[in-house]
Amino acid sequence: MRVLLVEDDPDLSRQLKAALSDAGYAVDHAADGEEAHFLGDTEPYDVIVLDLGLPKIDGVSVLERWRREQKTTPVLILTARGAWSDKVAGFDAGADDYLTKPFHTEELLARLRALLRRAAGHATPALSCGGLRLDPRAARASVNGEPLRLTSLEYRLLHYLMMHQGRVISRTELVEHLYDQDFDRDSNTIEVFVGRLRKKIGPDRIETVRGLGYRLTPLEGEPVD
Amino acid sequence: MAALIGAGLALNMFYRQTAVARFELDVREVAEGLLARTQVKEGEVVAPLLIDARATRALSGRYWQISEPTPEGLRPIKLSESLSPEKGGAPLAGPPGGVGALLERPGRPLFYNTVGAAGEPVRAVAILSILPGRTEPLVFMAAQDRSPIDRDARRFAELTALLLLLVGGGLVAAVFFQVSIGLSPLFQLGREISDVRKGKSQRLTSVYPIEVQPLAAELNALLDHNQEVVDRQRTHVGNLAHALKTPLSVMLTEAGAEQNALADVVRRQATIMRGQVDHHLRRARAAARSQSAGERTPVDEVLDEMSVMLERVFQEKGVEIDWRADDDLCFRGERQDLQEIVGNVLENACKYGGKHVRAIASLTSEPGKLRLIVEDDGPGLPAERREEVLKRGSRLDESEPGSGLGLSIVDELARAYGGAVWLERSDLGGLRVVVDLPAAEV
Repeated sequence: MRVLLVEDDPDLSRQLKAALSDAGYAVDHAADGEEAHFLGDTEPYDVIVLDLGLPKIDGVSVLERWRREQKTTPVLILTARGAWSDKVAGFDAGADDYLTKPFHTEELLARLRALLRRAAGHATPALSCGGLRLDPRAARASVNGEPLRLTSLEYRLLHYLMMHQGRVISRTELVEHLYDQDFDRDSNTIEVFVGRLRKKIGPDRIETVRGLGYRLTPLEGEPVD
Repeated sequence: MAALIGAGLALNMFYRQTAVARFELDVREVAEGLLARTQVKEGEVVAPLLIDARATRALSGRYWQISEPTPEGLRPIKLSESLSPEKGGAPLAGPPGGVGALLERPGRPLFYNTVGAAGEPVRAVAILSILPGRTEPLVFMAAQDRSPIDRDARRFAELTALLLLLVGGGLVAAVFFQVSIGLSPLFQLGREISDVRKGKSQRLTSVYPIEVQPLAAELNALLDHNQEVVDRQRTHVGNLAHALKTPLSVMLTEAGAEQNALADVVRRQATIMRGQVDHHLRRARAAARSQSAGERTPVDEVLDEMSVMLERVFQEKGVEIDWRADDDLCFRGERQDLQEIVGNVLENACKYGGKHVRAIASLTSEPGKLRLIVEDDGPGLPAERREEVLKRGSRLDESEPGSGLGLSIVDELARAYGGAVWLERSDLGGLRVVVDLPAAEV
């Protein structure tokens, strides 16, 4: 397994490099944003550990660039900024997990193992519908290239609609596919989630067919897959 | 107002005085005419034939009388026809002081009020004089009905009162109108500032007249400046965190591998430093927060971004966060603080719960207050430990990673906003965290 470690503090880098090597990873190290971006862009890493406070280009910008270039490599961000607003910024840029400094090395290793398991789990091809794209491997969706921020229920709803695009799907069918057995099945909540999804992907992509259900179609003028 | 009333009273007094003075002059002329033209022939008092033509009609309101002072009072000798008893009249009464008052000032008129032959109020004058050919003094009296001047004075008083009332009312209305029109931008300004304070808006947006506009602009500049100060402080605080935390991380990692006295000291001291850094960062943030005003944060946005992020973090566990929020529900406070509250509560639920986390935010029946309820389907927490976890630094589960400060930070933040946090048992089986916070008015 190849891991890219991006960290500018020499002592922390040395410690992490040693810990990662001990755990059996092949470690490449970058000490600034520019080098990190170049390495991540050219080498096929399995996972990236990215510090956010970096010289030259900051971590969030590096991550955004990778994601714009369709790099789906799982990224764990290391940050000294423990505020939730900073974490959200990292996730919006495309991070998969975060760890707040100071942390235990064992915790970092455990998180990395989890990320790798997650990435290996899916092998389904990406779906698209007009400007909408959904990549089940990275569990990410985008509209016209802009990454979407979806909760897992919204993601599952969109996934189901995209798998059956063009077909009218009843509320009951959606409830059955979205919820576990043991969860309260209230079909009204489907409306809530369709409403939220419309807010995020644009109001006209999901059509309400009165009395029957919902249908996902490409917008007019968009190519049909 | 007082000036108007004063002016009215002065006008009335002046009018009355001049009217009475003119009237008295009239009466006095009659009395003096009477005195001048009365003769004494062989001890007999002979009154002139005609003093005042009007005094010939009975009860006409014009009277004259010549009296003789006696110890019992004035004894009438000659009366005008208007007073003659045959025609229903009666002699005039003397002045209040009686003969004595007259004797003190012979030849000088003494004015007084009394009643006439028809019972009407009259103004009377009496002059005591000694005529040639007679040793005993005589009292010459004249009187005239004063009701016309009383009536005139009353009418004048009524008229001035009415006019002054109109003027006064007009003035009051004009002042009120002017004040309410002239000050309305200030009232508007007051309302807008109160809106900012309540979190309804961030800045003053109305257009004001040129006199007030600079004030509004300055207030906006002040609000901007405040925000800037807060932001700057945040940045400093964040920089400090970054600067300290990486070295701390290095020290802890380095010491973690070693088993000796030095490593122990480093580990212990680094842990204390970490606690200190966290503590002071939070205090600096709280200080920055108290300066900012007028912030409002949509609750659904924060719940959404936090859910998306935490579901991703806990993807392996398969946690699903089902959140609901009233439409347009806004927290009256800073976004970062709501993120901190929601993030910590949700993270705890994801960590210690099972697969299902439910978050509901809604307005309470109490105005200006919103309630966030986060529940999980985990093992929950025994009642006796619930208080404890809200205290600083305690951890729900020592085996879980993280600083364990989550819920105590939430408690601290909620208190800073005048809210509250408490823990209950959830219907889902696990813990239910209830957070009350101020809501921004819509």
